[in-house]
Amino acid sequence: MARLGTDKFVVEREKEVATRLSPGVFPTGRQSEWSAQNRTLTHSVHPLTNSVALCVAGKQPREQLKTEIRVYEQDQRIYVCGFGTTPDERLSFINDTHAVFSAIQSIMDARETHVGVDALLRMSALYREAMLRQVRVLQDARDSEFVRSESDVFQAMHAVWHLLEIVYVTTNSGLSASVVPYYMEWLNFNFPAPAAADGERIIGSSPDSNALAQNPDVWPYVQKLALRGHVTTVANMLERIAPAQVLSAAASRWARELAQTARDMPLASSDETSGSFNARWRRWNSGLQSMATNIGSMLDKADDDALSALAMVVDVMRGDADSISRVGDTWQDVLGAVLLYSEPTAQTERLPALAQLVLEQFESDDFTLVDRTLAALVRHELPEFLVYCNQIDAWLSAHVSDLMQHIGILDSCRRVFKVEPREHYLVFLGERYLTHEGLWRVAMDYFGLCRTRVSQNIMGEYIVRMPLESDRKAQQVLRVCERYKLTEAMERVHRQLGRQKWQRGRLGAAIAHFVRVNDSSAVGQICDQLWAEYLASGNLTYGPIIDSVLATSAHDRVRFLTVYRDFHECYKGGEFKRAGKLLLSILVGEIAPSHAVPDLLVDSIPLLEGDALVFGADDTLELMRCAESVAQSLVDSDVCGVGRDELSIFNVACARNLARSYVMQ
Amino acid sequence: MNSLQVQPVARKITGIRWLPPRAGNAYTDTDLYFVSGSSAKHKELVLWTTANPDFQPTDDDKDNDDAESSSPLATLVAKVKHDGDVHDIAAPASDIVATASSFGMISIYNIGHTDNGDSSLSLREAVTAHKFANGEPAVATSLSVQPTNSADAEIASCGEDGRISYAPILRLDALQRHEVDSTVITGVCWPMPTQLAIATRAGQVKLFDRRAPAEVQAVFVDPSNTYEFECIAAHPSQSFRLATGTDTGAVLLWDIRNPKKPAMEAFNVHESNVWSVGFHPSDAAKIVSCSEDASLAVTQWVSDSDRQSRGVRHLSGFFNTLSVNCFDVCPFTRTSIIIAGSDSGNLLMEKTAASDFAIY
Repeated sequence: MARLGTDKFVVEREKEVATRLSPGVFPTGRQSEWSAQNRTLTHSVHPLTNSVALCVAGKQPREQLKTEIRVYEQDQRIYVCGFGTTPDERLSFINDTHAVFSAIQSIMDARETHVGVDALLRMSALYREAMLRQVRVLQDARDSEFVRSESDVFQAMHAVWHLLEIVYVTTNSGLSASVVPYYMEWLNFNFPAPAAADGERIIGSSPDSNALAQNPDVWPYVQKLALRGHVTTVANMLERIAPAQVLSAAASRWARELAQTARDMPLASSDETSGSFNARWRRWNSGLQSMATNIGSMLDKADDDALSALAMVVDVMRGDADSISRVGDTWQDVLGAVLLYSEPTAQTERLPALAQLVLEQFESDDFTLVDRTLAALVRHELPEFLVYCNQIDAWLSAHVSDLMQHIGILDSCRRVFKVEPREHYLVFLGERYLTHEGLWRVAMDYFGLCRTRVSQNIMGEYIVRMPLESDRKAQQVLRVCERYKLTEAMERVHRQLGRQKWQRGRLGAAIAHFVRVNDSSAVGQICDQLWAEYLASGNLTYGPIIDSVLATSAHDRVRFLTVYRDFHECYKGGEFKRAGKLLLSILVGEIAPSHAVPDLLVDSIPLLEGDALVFGADDTLELMRCAESVAQSLVDSDVCGVGRDELSIFNVACARNLARSYVMQ
Repeated sequence: MNSLQVQPVARKITGIRWLPPRAGNAYTDTDLYFVSGSSAKHKELVLWTTANPDFQPTDDDKDNDDAESSSPLATLVAKVKHDGDVHDIAAPASDIVATASSFGMISIYNIGHTDNGDSSLSLREAVTAHKFANGEPAVATSLSVQPTNSADAEIASCGEDGRISYAPILRLDALQRHEVDSTVITGVCWPMPTQLAIATRAGQVKLFDRRAPAEVQAVFVDPSNTYEFECIAAHPSQSFRLATGTDTGAVLLWDIRNPKKPAMEAFNVHESNVWSVGFHPSDAAKIVSCSEDASLAVTQWVSDSDRQSRGVRHLSGFFNTLSVNCFDVCPFTRTSIIIAGSDSGNLLMEKTAASDFAIY
């Protein structure tokens, strides 16, 4: 999938998958010996799922070999290897998010002109809830490597999705809200720090304020709290430390002062104009600035560890970039503190520039995949972001590209990608889902709701390969075709079903399917089979089969069999005149296959020879015309079951009946 | 549209049935049991239990409601692998369930309860009831137990091979097969202990007398429409009333008192195939149905002059987007509890407090 032109770009890497065959096809390390004995491997990929059938094959046919080759048991095994499959543990997550995905598509269909931000936000929250639910389920599950890696994936997906939601949906709703509170909420929710356990441990191990002030962990802890904007906790901690005897008088006083200032930190509220908030903020900030100056001048005079640690807290809170970078471990931390303390009213547009400044301070080689993804997102580098998303999980890239499409920011990616990104990722996810037997319907929705011509074609190819194990599954497959208007696929499925039923000897049902797709040659063949069975057994047993499909069928052969059956019933019931009419209608209407005509003519003999006159002169002439054409074909070939003798009897009967009809008329 | 409670179970549920109460007496069981069957990757039969809502405190407190919605709807008691996809389940007694499988088998499972509260499900007997002329197994689409109290009640099953099979519950090997249709038989029910009705994919309802099982007693079709039927159910007390579900999403109500000219009424309540239909056991003026369109519908078909007018109540769940395959209404409780299973891998439930008894 190499398709990215920009030079700094990473080409998407598929994760490598290796499956070790057990037991193997040859003893370890003896591959060349094995290969020299005319052996190689051959494989076939399953049309629907990501699995491969593998077996040992000969390079040359065995017959062509001069020397005899021994066959071992392992040469006769077939290995089926699956890769990239969907684990069962994800099923409920997949079903829940499928519901949300479908709902988003229908909401967007309903209001094409205006994108409802509120509705999108609700849906986005549902996605996040599903992810968190999955994290909780995994936490309850038995610990294993699989569970741990799944749990990591879901936490990463939540972090990415949450930030995407904040940057592009929440703060983009036209209310010109500041991104800062949302960013801090995101930061503290997804990367909680400092750990609450740390605080408990520090306080637990230090019963009084003296011990607390001497605890080496306490100042880094307070600095972290300040960095994350937990100002109330900062104030509480400072007030606990301040009474300590071991502190200098100055440190103690400034600690109290800072605690009070921290409590007074202005918070933006929706009923305040930004001007008035800014004024309050400037006042608060200048208080901190002067505090920093005062503490700084004191530190110049004398060394005081506690005071210099306190100075660091003040520096962080007054928004000093260097101090923030020194305290912050990750770029997310640093960016959060920069936003909170130096640009508290920053809007989303400021993020890329600020993020760039912060990211420059960090070594990008040490970044994890999640770091890189988030960094690409805050820098608004969407194509890169999408590629990283896909490396985290196929689910993420598919739903992210879908959301981006709906809020209208996918165009920037279209210029970079050679394929349509939303379609590519949705189809990719759909194919992943197809590997699970129970998710075919979900996969089809992902193909179908993608709504592009390519996805439509892909869907058509997959759906005709769905195994039709039961009548109900067949109905469901047909409903999907109907819903997504896959007419051609529908016809192919019907044909497949017809053939399946035919093989199983369910001729009526087979006819019904072939009639749906107007496959008259197949219907004709089945009818011929029924006719042949009748001729062979002499029992007219196809009645119920034909009856059940009559309503749907207007095919000549089916009509022929029906009328012929009616003819028999009339004849049995003694209604010779009606029987004669029916028989004649078959011959005149030419709905019977030509090979059946001689038999029909023979059937007319008892009527011609009966006591009552059934056929008038015109009818008899019509019968004779048919007989003539049959006689002609009999000259050409003699394959028919009716012999010349019977036809000559028919001729005599016709002649007698003709004479009789003239006399009677 | 009313909302259903949803419990994800990560299995495609294709069959579900309440078990008759163990005490043998309706209103005294504090725990109710039901059995669900699943298809596709996990072919299983699962025994569940849920608290009898008749004995729950009926506080309408908001807090109480929240607590209830967070607890699971039902708890798993026992499970066992099933041979093939489960297509239908019948529960003739509190310790016996019969299943119809996609391999054409009718299986009988025993449910055992030990004194310390554990329960178990175990296969007692299985027989191949349906196969095609070429030897391939044919899906057993539905089954129904003869409504008699005698010990030798029979199970009638129908299949994609167009046959009905009759087998006494106690001796499955004494199975009789009769070919009665050329398409797929999609549903079977017993209007009377001696009468059997089937629905077919060709849109026919056929009646049979058990004493002459190979002969069709009567055939009913709707000549004005080309429906295919997906399921059939008999009225619990009026043997001349039948309900069928169609592939177009309609529920048809038949009155076959006059076999020459049956009366039929159609209710277009769903948008897609109706997979299962049934009269409400305690209020037969309602028909319950479930469908491919991921919803359940409760149709009031008798207009009752003072209380309820005719109409449909739809039930669905936001997190349930795929076909609802099966449902069952608990006939033993005053509270009406509908449980259902879906392709989205959810157990669905709705509890409605009983309206005052309709008898008064």
